[in-house]
Amino acid sequence: MSTLTIGGSQLDASWFLLLAAVLFTLGTIGVLVRRNPLVILICIELMLNAVNLTLITFSRQLQNAEGQLFALMVMTVAAAEAVVGLAILVDIFRVRDVEDIDDLSELKG
Amino acid sequence: MAVAGGVGVITFREPIRCVLSLVVVMIALSILFLLLSAQFVFVAQIIVYAGAVMVLFLFVIALLGPARETARGRLRFQPWLSGLFAAVFLILIWAMLQGVQYRQPDPADLNVFGTVQWIAVGLFTSYLYPFELTSILLLVAAIGAIYLSRREGDDR
Repeated sequence: MSTLTIGGSQLDASWFLLLAAVLFTLGTIGVLVRRNPLVILICIELMLNAVNLTLITFSRQLQNAEGQLFALMVMTVAAAEAVVGLAILVDIFRVRDVEDIDDLSELKG
Repeated sequence: MAVAGGVGVITFREPIRCVLSLVVVMIALSILFLLLSAQFVFVAQIIVYAGAVMVLFLFVIALLGPARETARGRLRFQPWLSGLFAAVFLILIWAMLQGVQYRQPDPADLNVFGTVQWIAVGLFTSYLYPFELTSILLLVAAIGAIYLSRREGDDR
């Protein structure tokens, strides 16, 4: 295992990775279990943030710029995705009241 | 603290509490970014996520009204199945993390690492092309959001 020196104290890099894995799994559970489309979008944001934490941990570990730059890209894409997803959601809600994502299942072919 | 916030995101019934616990997750993660000496990403996280995206979510919730989630589902076994799936997934990731061979990092000056200047040099030299692509992506997202949220009678 690898230790990072952070503020004078030694910290294991794998703890950050494990935290990211736990957060990603929580986001996955949220997407699978929750019924509200808004909450599903929130859980997707959670997953993207977990990935960002992994990227930045490896960037710090390898002392390499690419991880942080890619995390910034992920952040941009996440913001764009949230904007478009919420706009679609508002549009759907304007047509009818959806409390359950399964109510939209007639969209399938 | 981040994990507690994450649990809050998926367990609260009202969406507004999910959003507020997501804010907790964001701020905890941004502090971790600062610990990992990613100062610019820390600032961006605070502004973009804890600021803009969360305000957006709160506005949409205020617009749509607080819809409480009913505990029913068409598939009764779905929560259990997804819990099982998530457990297997987490174990897989953990097993993968055990096998990671960390290499000794190249020595870099930690006074320079992660500062705004340092990020900008990478962003505007070797990664200029993806940077420009993100600007186009943001423009497309803004136009798409305006198009989607316009009312039907507004066509001119």
